[in-house]
Amino acid sequence: MYVRVEKGVSAPISRQIAEQVKAQCLAGILKPGDCLPSVRQLAKELAVNVNTVVRVYERLTAEGFLEMRHGEGTFVAPPSVATQAAAELKEQREQFAREFEALVRRGLMLGLTPPELRKMLTTAAADAKTGISQRTTAKHHPVGESP
Amino acid sequence: MSDQGISIQHLAKSYGANQVLRDVSLEIPAGQTFALLGRNGAGKTTTIRILLGLIPADSGRVTLDGLDPAQDALAVRRRTGYLAEDQTMYPWMTASELCRFLAPFYPTWDMAWAHDYLARFEIPLHTRIGRLSKGQSVKLGVAVALAHRPPLVILDDPAMGLDPIARKEFNRDLVEHLQTSGSTVLYSSHLLDEVEAVADAVAILDQGTIVRHGATESLRDEVKQILLPVSGLTARTRPAQLLDVRRHGDRLAIIVDEAPTYLRRLLEEGIEHEVVDLRLDEIFEAYVIGRTDDWPDMPVTETVATVN
Repeated sequence: MYVRVEKGVSAPISRQIAEQVKAQCLAGILKPGDCLPSVRQLAKELAVNVNTVVRVYERLTAEGFLEMRHGEGTFVAPPSVATQAAAELKEQREQFAREFEALVRRGLMLGLTPPELRKMLTTAAADAKTGISQRTTAKHHPVGESP
Repeated sequence: MSDQGISIQHLAKSYGANQVLRDVSLEIPAGQTFALLGRNGAGKTTTIRILLGLIPADSGRVTLDGLDPAQDALAVRRRTGYLAEDQTMYPWMTASELCRFLAPFYPTWDMAWAHDYLARFEIPLHTRIGRLSKGQSVKLGVAVALAHRPPLVILDDPAMGLDPIARKEFNRDLVEHLQTSGSTVLYSSHLLDEVEAVADAVAILDQGTIVRHGATESLRDEVKQILLPVSGLTARTRPAQLLDVRRHGDRLAIIVDEAPTYLRRLLEEGIEHEVVDLRLDEIFEAYVIGRTDDWPDMPVTETVATVN
């Protein structure tokens, strides 16, 4: 496993390591069942705090990329449908959060106040909810035609 | 407060009229790697010398694994590996002789390990210490400080005399041998990039006081640079923990601590902003030489941010 830590940059070291391992899992460079270097070994190789590596392994295990087998080591987890779907969902949600933030920022720049924005959100959420439920109940009837 | 690790409570020290430390308190849990950061003259070496029982404090109390160096300096020294800032060693001895000389002082001296260190640091065993280069004698100092496998390690700027390769070697050793064996490590440094990779927690010492301490990673989550438009800012918008203000045309670049709280406030007040992640050296700089007088229309009642 190739990981390179850049020192003196603004991305925290744990994030740098996590992202590189994750990318290698997703790209298939690290294959399911591959054994990762031990915490101690990787920490030594990168000259990075042991606890930082522990935290990275734990986080990636929680995210479903890795698997810590007690007494055996850390392995690349098999790509279960659930973890992949979860990863995808998480990514999409993050993308959504960024878009939402940009939208809010634009609203603020246009002179809307947070209470006004909140009101718009409540209304929009309520509208969207009725829209979605109408569409699901009217599933078999093409939109535009009355049932 | 636990008995293990290093505890510093309300330490004060003056040399004549010059107050070097005022009310310094720190808790370093056992097994932690802790970096003490500060400019020259900030009080790092004085703190370390008090911890070793080499000089007395004017007031306050320190304990190392429950031992008070003011009462029991020998017991402290037995379980502590110490490298002084400008360690001098008998120049007429060779590295090999120095090891044989030091071994009887320490019941736990590990000669094989000492020699392993010397080999990896490429220190000639049979050259007189007086003829070693600066880097070589620092490396020798590190090796003999750790050769009795102490549970506590206190190093006063060990990286200063080391070249980049030896520094990396030293950091690897710190990670491989000291962190994994659960040693408590306190070291001072100027090399912030390297500290960040290795230390669990850091403290910034400035003019004799601790201006900030915290886990290395959380420090970076909490101290951020924020870009704000100058217009629309009020005295109320001024953050409680303002560290630095730079004006760039109609924008302000400010550095704040407790950034998550402040960012929530900015969002509530509808102030457009941009957040920038900072490196450890930028955080250090903001704490040590940050200035806040560029904040626009600052009412005199507002206090300048300092952290206790």
